[in-house]
Amino acid sequence: MAITIDKSKRYGFMPGCSLPSYSPEAVIKTTEYLKSVFPKFSAVQKCCGKPTKAVGQYDLFKERFAQLQQDMDEVGIETMIVACQSCKLTFDEASKTPTYSLWEVLPLIGLPEGMKDKAKNSDIVFTIHDSCSTRNDRPLQDGIRWILDELGYKYIESEYAFEKTRCCGFGGMVVPANPEVAKKVMKRRVETLDSENVVVYCSACRSSLLQGGAKSWHILDLVWGPVVQAGDMAPVDVLSKPVNSWLNRYKSKAGINKAFKS
Amino acid sequence: MNKVKFNESILQDAEKIIDECMGEASAFCQSRCPMHTDVKKYVNLIGEKKYDEAVKVIREQLFLPNTLGRICAHPCEMDCRRGVEYNQPLSIAALKRFAAEQADDEKLWDVTKETANGKSVAIIGAGPAGAQAAINLSKLGYDVTIYDKLKVLGGMMRVGIPAYRLPRDIIDYEYTYLDKLGVKFEMGVEIGKNISFEQLKNDYDAVLLAHGAHKGNIIPMPGHKSEGVFAATAYLMEISLTQAFKGAGKKVMVIGGGDVAMDCARSSLRIGVEEVHQCSLEDFDNLPASEEEIHESLKEGILFNAGWGPVEIISKDNKVTGIKMKRVKTIFDEAGNFAPTYHNEERFIEVDTVVMAAGQLVEDVSGGMLEQTRGGRFVVDKATLATSVENIFVAGDACGSNIVVEAMALGRKAAISIDRSLQGVDLLEGRDLRLEEIYDTNLEIPLPNGTVNLQRLHTNMRPVRERIRDFEQADLGFTEEQALKESSRCLSCECKLCMKECIMMNDFGECPKEIMMPLAKDGDMNVLMAYSCNGCDNCTIVCPHELPMKKIFIGARKDYVAANHGESPIPGHKAIKMHQMLGFSKLFTTKKRGGK
Repeated sequence: MAITIDKSKRYGFMPGCSLPSYSPEAVIKTTEYLKSVFPKFSAVQKCCGKPTKAVGQYDLFKERFAQLQQDMDEVGIETMIVACQSCKLTFDEASKTPTYSLWEVLPLIGLPEGMKDKAKNSDIVFTIHDSCSTRNDRPLQDGIRWILDELGYKYIESEYAFEKTRCCGFGGMVVPANPEVAKKVMKRRVETLDSENVVVYCSACRSSLLQGGAKSWHILDLVWGPVVQAGDMAPVDVLSKPVNSWLNRYKSKAGINKAFKS
Repeated sequence: MNKVKFNESILQDAEKIIDECMGEASAFCQSRCPMHTDVKKYVNLIGEKKYDEAVKVIREQLFLPNTLGRICAHPCEMDCRRGVEYNQPLSIAALKRFAAEQADDEKLWDVTKETANGKSVAIIGAGPAGAQAAINLSKLGYDVTIYDKLKVLGGMMRVGIPAYRLPRDIIDYEYTYLDKLGVKFEMGVEIGKNISFEQLKNDYDAVLLAHGAHKGNIIPMPGHKSEGVFAATAYLMEISLTQAFKGAGKKVMVIGGGDVAMDCARSSLRIGVEEVHQCSLEDFDNLPASEEEIHESLKEGILFNAGWGPVEIISKDNKVTGIKMKRVKTIFDEAGNFAPTYHNEERFIEVDTVVMAAGQLVEDVSGGMLEQTRGGRFVVDKATLATSVENIFVAGDACGSNIVVEAMALGRKAAISIDRSLQGVDLLEGRDLRLEEIYDTNLEIPLPNGTVNLQRLHTNMRPVRERIRDFEQADLGFTEEQALKESSRCLSCECKLCMKECIMMNDFGECPKEIMMPLAKDGDMNVLMAYSCNGCDNCTIVCPHELPMKKIFIGARKDYVAANHGESPIPGHKAIKMHQMLGFSKLFTTKKRGGK
């Protein structure tokens, strides 16, 4: 179903867990931009509880999600925008609030001024790793291609893209359960991509692909960060260092708060 | 953790996987082989140049790889995926011959057997059915003696199949396997003449009739009693034993359209016949003979009259002078009964000899003790090959097989029955008959990605002009280069598509059917396996039946948690608990409302 934007409604944004842990800059700038677009806008940062569900703690999950729903209700969110594919699935299943992916919203509201064609002179050629949790969500996947086109980046599609995408190795809470298998899956995912320069739209996927030996950028790195050229190094793997991750998560939260002060 | 009680939907999904997963389904070739030879395995071993290993795989089922590599009617090739898709089946038989020629060695033969059990079995017939039964029974510890009225080994393979297709030294060599197992032979002994069936029955604990269908069938058409009319069986037998046929003239008509007719026609050339004709009710496109035989017969100069039915043998002074044929309109009536009808179109061919390859009959050796039916075939219970008389069984053409490898499968089946009977076990109880017969594999898979049509390779034949002068082998087989190329065409038909997608399942088994068996049967599942699933769903996506593996792995976690006091049973998941605590703590969370 094609989505439409209705600015009379209150939109809400939740960056999720992995994105705030990876890039406070991306969280803050995205929040600020959305806030500038939507007259009625709220934001929430919390976990959706998916990890509890993934390990089988369904009752705990219900409890946790209820807390998040309560937060959303308190700040009056009528339509939710999420930047995490697991959040998207979780919300679709557990929340009464209609939820869209940031990647399907951006093509509708456009990128901030000055972004168009900013990378048209870049010589890098990316490929895209689609998140496996939303393998059947074509509008979401098309949104990522739209952003790349809009920015002016070149990319090639790999055989295992869209609905045929393969897991990055992070899913199902396998990393702490069976790290050897997770490592193999990460490597195999990288082997099945047609470029060593990979665009992802999940920070956990980004970390997995780095561990699998590829260079990977989050789509928001490309939106908010400098133009990337062939041969550039990808941003370091923050998520593999818990202290840095939590520090970032704190910075993201503080940044969101700050964005709402102005 | 307490004993995990998996919820009903998980157990149902596991059942579904056990029923529908094709991971253990045989390849088409294997399911169509009456002996269930693991074709895919040995063809791929040939491709890896592991010829001795290939021979070992063949020999797990077949004691005469070189023989079958030359003369097997290869039902396996009929269902080969490359045949079904492109009409270019793999040359499986020829590859088998190649492997045997390269690496068959007595040292590879499995001559282990159980200790003697004191019971004895007499087998009538040293053909493929009798020999196979002898092998199986001997390995089980029985004292086996084979009787044959011929002085040579191999039965129909020896006196039916011509030497240019199957050199006799190969039969003799491959039959030495039976000697090594201690099978005894009484050759040149005819049951009912040199020794009575009754005596055999009294002297042995069980008797197996596997004496084939050696009696020729003469069609009673006008002129059939003329001098110069012969049955294919007698014709081929004499040629096999003497490389000549006393009664043959210079122009021969072979009646029939099957492989036996082709054997008669091609053999005729080799004994010096100048002109060889063929006629049959079946037209050229519907000849029952194998494509190879038709092809080689044509090349050798056999003159075909397929679709022309013989109606009268013309003779002068009771000696054949020709044959009259009519063009066939239909062979069967609407009810499916044999009732040929003809157009009003005649053809006459001048010949001095007529050979009828029109079926073969089974002779009675039981002195009337056993009931016979159409073609003289003995009446048996098809599932067990038992007759109405206790401990008397029948196998091979004597009860219904048509080709060598089928005869062998019946020999194996009879051996299983004899063993059960002599051990006092019910013939059918707990018996998996599927293991003894051809079956339909449940393999339904897409062609592997990127499959292209590659032409079937044919073996090298001696030049026609040279080969029709002698009985040396006409077919020289494959060179190594050809064999490697041909084996590389094998599509290795198997499902296991999910196993190529999923990395972790490979750590726990060969396919979902195997992996889910403990869950379906005993409600057990390896906890690490359930928690090693990424939940990506690629397994289900590639599964032709879209089986729910992920649903089980992820769904079962709820039951593990229930059995583990509300916590994940995986030690590494303790970190998630901390993670979640922080992820919900005030320090890292916020909620903000902006605008009006």
